[in-house]
Amino acid sequence: MISKHALRIIIVFSSIAIMAGAGLVIKLFLIPDSFGVYGAYRADAIEEEANRAIRHGTNKSCLSCHPYEASIHLKGLHKTISCEFCHGTFADHIDNGKKIASLPVKKGDDITTLCLRCHNTEIKARSSVVIKTVAMPDHLRKQKVKETHSCNQCHHVHAPLKHIREAERISGLKISGKGANLTGANYTLFSPDGNENIILTPPTIPYSKEVYK
Amino acid sequence: MQGFHEGAGMLISNFVLPNDLHVHWSMMIVLYPYITGLVDGAFIIAALYYLFDVKSFKPVARFSLLFALAFLSCATIPLLLHLGRPERNFNMLLTPNPSSAMAGFGYIYAISMGVLLLIVLFVYRPDLVRRGRDAKGLMSFFYRLLTFDSDDLSESALRLDGKIIRFLVGLGIPVAAVLHGYVGFIFGGVKANPTWSTPLMPVIFLFSACVSGIAAIVVAYIFIRKATKQSVDHNCITTCIKTLTGFFILAFCFEMLEVFSHSYLRSGYHHMVEGLLNGPLQNSFWLWQVKICSVIPLILLGVMAFVPLKEKFYTTVAALVSAILLLQVFIMRWNVVIGGQLMSKSARGYTTFHPEWFDKEGIIAVIGVMVIPFIILFILSRIFPFWNNRDEKGVI
Ligand code: HEC
Ligand code: HEC
Ligand code: HEC
Ligand code: HEC
Repeated sequence: MISKHALRIIIVFSSIAIMAGAGLVIKLFLIPDSFGVYGAYRADAIEEEANRAIRHGTNKSCLSCHPYEASIHLKGLHKTISCEFCHGTFADHIDNGKKIASLPVKKGDDITTLCLRCHNTEIKARSSVVIKTVAMPDHLRKQKVKETHSCNQCHHVHAPLKHIREAERISGLKISGKGANLTGANYTLFSPDGNENIILTPPTIPYSKEVYK
Repeated sequence: MQGFHEGAGMLISNFVLPNDLHVHWSMMIVLYPYITGLVDGAFIIAALYYLFDVKSFKPVARFSLLFALAFLSCATIPLLLHLGRPERNFNMLLTPNPSSAMAGFGYIYAISMGVLLLIVLFVYRPDLVRRGRDAKGLMSFFYRLLTFDSDDLSESALRLDGKIIRFLVGLGIPVAAVLHGYVGFIFGGVKANPTWSTPLMPVIFLFSACVSGIAAIVVAYIFIRKATKQSVDHNCITTCIKTLTGFFILAFCFEMLEVFSHSYLRSGYHHMVEGLLNGPLQNSFWLWQVKICSVIPLILLGVMAFVPLKEKFYTTVAALVSAILLLQVFIMRWNVVIGGQLMSKSARGYTTFHPEWFDKEGIIAVIGVMVIPFIILFILSRIFPFWNNRDEKGVI
């Protein structure tokens, strides 16, 4: 004869088993239909993602309507930087080939914040060969200006060395370390062990007055 | 720092490097393995008593179960805070699959919670029955629920309970090992990260889990007993410390073994790992994790093992060592989780981690998450008495 206690325990464990079983059955109904068609994900998701309206337009999409900015941007060191990184997405600005809303144009301190997102020395993983970084406010102190200067007071936002090169040309002074005449410029690279310096001469970019390098 | 790709003689220009500045798995992901580790270690003590019959653990066995339960019930909080969208958490139960260890979490967690809850209810059934007899109204119904509506405390009923407890604890050991080992497994399975990608990872996580759990029980037991002016069972503390010593030796050996195997094998990304441990992690790894929080406890544990100490002094040192080891395990989790992300995925350099105060994964949130289990523990103590002042008849 089974005791009352044992009976209770049997009831407890069997109800756990029943609940678990019921859970597994309910689960069958809740799994989305297209799950597992290709793999452990919802096959419909592929189509849904593919049908998503494209929000970014690439730099090309901006150039035709903004020839003035384009003409500067394409000649400077920012030429491959996405307009949309700094200004916002195409879809927020243009629909059906027409302007539908304004894009934010940054001013003052916001510009500094924007530039430092890429050019901050704090970002340790950045290689100085690929992208130069500056420490603030040291960079402004070195130029002997007030620390309230924002970056675009010296750097053209679309071609960062434009004004600097122009100033050099007019004054005949060499402001930058790189030298005004690019054809003779050297880049110093460091070998992995850090002992040997490899000197490279950039071969391609032909020097012309139009290139703000 | 100059990466090693750059000497190759080509000039890369106008290329923005992948932004490795953000540490995605931040403090909440440090906390999660820490919490499940505490659960695991505490459960091991209970298992040693209820399954392997190590009698000297008796004073802390029940407490360990409650401690494990309190922390296990909070184990998901850091994950939910980290991921956001908590309402989606049940989706995980719908589509587990063998190709993703993370997708198994729902089931692993649910099973361990169920097993632990049942163990607690069976262990406490005699107490709950006695309390239920004095309770009225809703509380009496509540106690009936907790005791499976069986107030039978006869010899044979308790013998049956004992068998069930043994079975559940036996089941609980692999479940606990999976719950925690799987976290290590996930880290060990990230092929792209040279500091994580090693089969030693789950082993290291498991042993350090046992260390932190046992240390937590020692600290909590000594603290609560002293604070409530009750006696501390010396025999129990000694056994705890011996077990702790064993697990800690294993944990520390494996932690060092990982570093040595990296530096001996000099595998592809060894220079990155070396630079990481000697660079951004120099203080938190070598100074804090190894020197202060591992070597000092090893010396103290050695003294405790070989030098006869007065009981009172032994208890104090036991609490101190356990507290340091709790810190050791936390720092170890930090160095693995956050440390492992401080290097660029393109092996081009290192970054730093800046913890924030007010963030859903910030310092305040971390403190909050660590306080909740103690609140739960306090509430549990109103229903389930920590200590077994009368003799626990029948239950092994
Ligand atoms: C590095 C960030 C950056 C990039 C890249 C960039 N811009 Fe700008 N742009 C700015 C900032 C900052 C301003 C406003 C401050 C200024 O003009 O000095 C601005 C101003 C403008 C303005 C003038 C707005 C006004 O009303 O004065 C236009 C138009 C514009 N950008 C278009 C473009 C286009 C088109 C591109 C891509 C070819 C582009 N920008 C790329 C940062 C950027
Ligand atoms: C269909 C033409 C067209 C295209 C394409 C276009 N814009 Fe414009 N954009 C305009 C017009 C029109 C204005 C407002 C007149 C002005 O100030 O020059 C404008 C203004 C701006 C301004 C100034 C702030 C404002 O909204 O008034 C910025 C910045 C700008 N555009 C950026 C962009 C960027 C970046 C792209 C590419 C993603 C882009 N535009 C593509 C037509 C265009
Ligand atoms: C999206 C990231 C990004 C942002 C934002 C950005 N830059 Fe740049 N910047 C670059 C890259 C990439 C280069 C080109 C590096 C190369 O090709 O040598 C560059 C080049 C430069 C240079 C020339 C450095 C040299 O080689 O001597 C200057 C100066 C500069 N940027 C200033 C600015 C200023 C000022 C701003 C803010 C208006 C800004 N940058 C915003 C990515 C960025
Ligand atoms: C007072 C003028 C001035 C201001 C303001 C200024 N810069 Fe410059 N910056 C210069 C000059 C001059 C150079 C030298 C150009 C060179 O070396 O080719 C330079 C160089 C740079 C370079 C290249 C550094 C290198 O190692 O070659 C970067 C990047 C840069 N600036 C970013 C910024 C950013 C970001 C800001 C805003 C926070 C800023 N600058 C504000 C004048 C200025």
